[in-house]
Amino acid sequence: MMTAQMFFIAFFGLAAVWFGIVVFRTFSMVRSALALLFSQTALGAMFLSMQAEFLGVLQIMMMATEMSIMAIFMVMFMMDPGGLGEMEMTHQKRLSLVTGFVSFVAAVMIAVFVDWGPMANTFPDAAQQTVDLGLELLGRSMLIFEMAGITILTAMIAATAVAIQPAKKVSQ
Amino acid sequence: MNLIAIAILAPLSMALLTMLLRRQPAALALLGAAAGLLASLGLLTDAFNGRGSELILPGLPDMPLRLVATPLTALLSTLVAVVCSLVMVYAVGYMKKDNEKVRFFATLLLFASAMQTLVLAGDWILLLSAWELIGLSSYLLIGFWYSKPGVKTAATRAFLVTRSADLGLYIATFILVTSAGSTDIAATLDTRGGLAVAAGLLLLIAAMGKSAQTPLHDWLQRAMAGPTPVSALLHSATLVAAGAILLIRTAPMLPPETLLVIGIVGGVTTVVTGLMALGESDLKRMLAASTSSQYGLMLVAVGAGVPMAALLHLIAHAAIKSSLFLGAGVFQHSRDSTVLDKLRGIGRDRPKIFSGFVLAALALAGVPPLSGFFSKDAIIAASMNSANIWILLPFALAGTLLTGSYMARALRLLWQGNGKSRSVDGLAWMGAGLAGLVFLAIILGAAFPAVESLLGARLPENSQVQFLPVVLGLSAALCGLALGWFVPVHRLLGPLLPWSRQGFAIAGGFDNLIIRPVFFIARTCEKLERLLYESVLATGRAGLRLGQAVRLNDEQGIDGIIFSFVRCMVNLGGKARTLQSGLIHKELAISIVASAMILVFMLITLLVYQ
Amino acid sequence: MGPELVIALIAGAALFGVGIYGALSQTNLVMIMMGVELVLAGAMVNMLAFWRYLHPDNPAGQMFVLIIMTVMAIEMSVGFGVAIARFRAKGSVEMEEAAELKG
Repeated sequence: MMTAQMFFIAFFGLAAVWFGIVVFRTFSMVRSALALLFSQTALGAMFLSMQAEFLGVLQIMMMATEMSIMAIFMVMFMMDPGGLGEMEMTHQKRLSLVTGFVSFVAAVMIAVFVDWGPMANTFPDAAQQTVDLGLELLGRSMLIFEMAGITILTAMIAATAVAIQPAKKVSQ
Repeated sequence: MNLIAIAILAPLSMALLTMLLRRQPAALALLGAAAGLLASLGLLTDAFNGRGSELILPGLPDMPLRLVATPLTALLSTLVAVVCSLVMVYAVGYMKKDNEKVRFFATLLLFASAMQTLVLAGDWILLLSAWELIGLSSYLLIGFWYSKPGVKTAATRAFLVTRSADLGLYIATFILVTSAGSTDIAATLDTRGGLAVAAGLLLLIAAMGKSAQTPLHDWLQRAMAGPTPVSALLHSATLVAAGAILLIRTAPMLPPETLLVIGIVGGVTTVVTGLMALGESDLKRMLAASTSSQYGLMLVAVGAGVPMAALLHLIAHAAIKSSLFLGAGVFQHSRDSTVLDKLRGIGRDRPKIFSGFVLAALALAGVPPLSGFFSKDAIIAASMNSANIWILLPFALAGTLLTGSYMARALRLLWQGNGKSRSVDGLAWMGAGLAGLVFLAIILGAAFPAVESLLGARLPENSQVQFLPVVLGLSAALCGLALGWFVPVHRLLGPLLPWSRQGFAIAGGFDNLIIRPVFFIARTCEKLERLLYESVLATGRAGLRLGQAVRLNDEQGIDGIIFSFVRCMVNLGGKARTLQSGLIHKELAISIVASAMILVFMLITLLVYQ
Repeated sequence: MGPELVIALIAGAALFGVGIYGALSQTNLVMIMMGVELVLAGAMVNMLAFWRYLHPDNPAGQMFVLIIMTVMAIEMSVGFGVAIARFRAKGSVEMEEAAELKG
């Protein structure tokens, strides 16, 4: 199944990249949010094709929710969410293009020219993966898990605190 | 008490007393002069009796100060004392109306004592000191009325000229003292040879200064700015006599070459100053020129080798000239001027004084039996008997001629004409003094043989031509008198008149030849000194500027460098600030680029250090 | 040694590049955040590929992917809170105008 896996990885990878590009090329804000959604979904599909089922499903579910929330924020904050005005919303385009291209090329160089060693052929099946992941989470990576939890709490509080409207002083 | 000491100290102590008491200066002056006179007469009688006296004072080691009363010095001392006393009497009347009597009489007494010291001096040091003192007194007395215009310059000029000539005396003294080994005048008179010639010439220079011989005769003319008693005492009988006295005393030492030079100088002076006297328009100046002329005759006598003749003439001239000056003083008070034009006809206004004046004038001209005749005759005889007869005789005769002519001219101008005279205070005193001196002028001729025997020198007698000098002298005198009386001076002098009025100045005289160059040198030196001073200051300023420049360089240069560094840094900071745009995308870009650089660096490290 | 790893890595690199382009070139804060999302996504893909093809027995790889997901979520939540606050203060979330920290 190597070939099929390779095909799927390539296909979904390409889809992710193409949707990613669409995010920044479209004028409509909602469409870019949706494009991002599709990009992340393609990513999740890639995960699935690499036999990481738990993570793949997790990715798709999380990203779906996040992207829709993002779409709502888009509509809230954007000047022209529909994109009908076709306004140019970029700056330092050349710099960013060059930087993106250079980083892409660098990463590709590394990917192609580094000898990664022998590839593994056997892998645990999905159930085993989940068990291992759970044991890992609550065993060796307990500290990380805990830290992640605290960080999420902190983020929630921070986001709330930042976003709360300051109490208005009522002038008599 | 030694008579010598009295003769000198009497006037001196009276001078001090006058200065201290500031009262009755005239009485004290007369007292001092009288005491000195008595002392001198005592010395003279001692000399006649063959007794000489000596006073030795401790001076420098091996050089004691000596005062000697030899016949010569005693005679001269008496002469000085007599003239001093009589002029003092006259001065009481002359200065009656003056406010500064104390100063006048005190200085006059100082002069009297200095002059006595000079004539009685037995060693060179005392003589030199006295010489200087009489010069000082002369300065003080000429400049007595210092508030009048021109008086101060006259006094200064007199002092400077005589002082410059005194250099000769100093050098001569040095030569004589070192060659003889002692300062005793008598001992130094044995000097012979080249040193004697040199010393003689130098003594001549000193005598030329003090006795107003050409070319140093100008100061005497100017000295007439002083009061008339001063002119009578100092500038006719005593101070100017000092030069002649010097030559007479050192005559034994003088070699023939020097004598010739002395004679020529005297002769030239006689003629030149005689001509000047002839052309003069001021009475006192004329008398001053006449004084120079007569002393020229004395130098001719010394040059002829007969100092006795010079001495006789000196004695006669002292009495004559002082009486002439005293008369002129009375005229001055009468008309408030001494200019001959203003004094026209004064003879008729003041007959008694004028008669004394006339007698003295005739004595000067050489009319017998007045004293001047005998002395002039002696001089002419001496010149005829000398080796240089054809040089000295014409001079002597010319001098006699000129004497007669200018005196006659003066008499004519004073007698003829009209003018307005004032009454004069103190005429009695002045008359008394004048009378005394005129009397002496008349009778001194009879005393000359006694003088000759006293001094032991005889006038030259030449049996062949014994009467020739008399004839020549008398004819010259009478001729001169006639010329002076009858012929006006422009005809006599003709083209020489303007030149004579200038004092026969050659090439602009001393003013041009000496004074201008000296002042020029002085100004140049002053400029040089100022230049040096300025350059010193400029060096200082340059040093200061250098310091300032260094400081400026340090401040601006080095500080400039430092501050430019600072500005550079600030600019750099300013430029670095542009990185802090606050814009997120720019910050993102920076972060990404920086991270990329870090990664590259790490990669390289990894690859290099496997 | 198949090419799957390389293909996945290339995909990850491409995502990374697009994400950087987006983060640098967009004026809107939300769009910038989307760019950052894509970057993180690229990192996730790389991580997973390494896990799958090099160390499939080690669940630490999946753990890492989980953490990256957590980071994505946290970042988005706080970021949107900041965007709200900014919008409330200034009326827009255009980053071109956000030069208050200049200097």
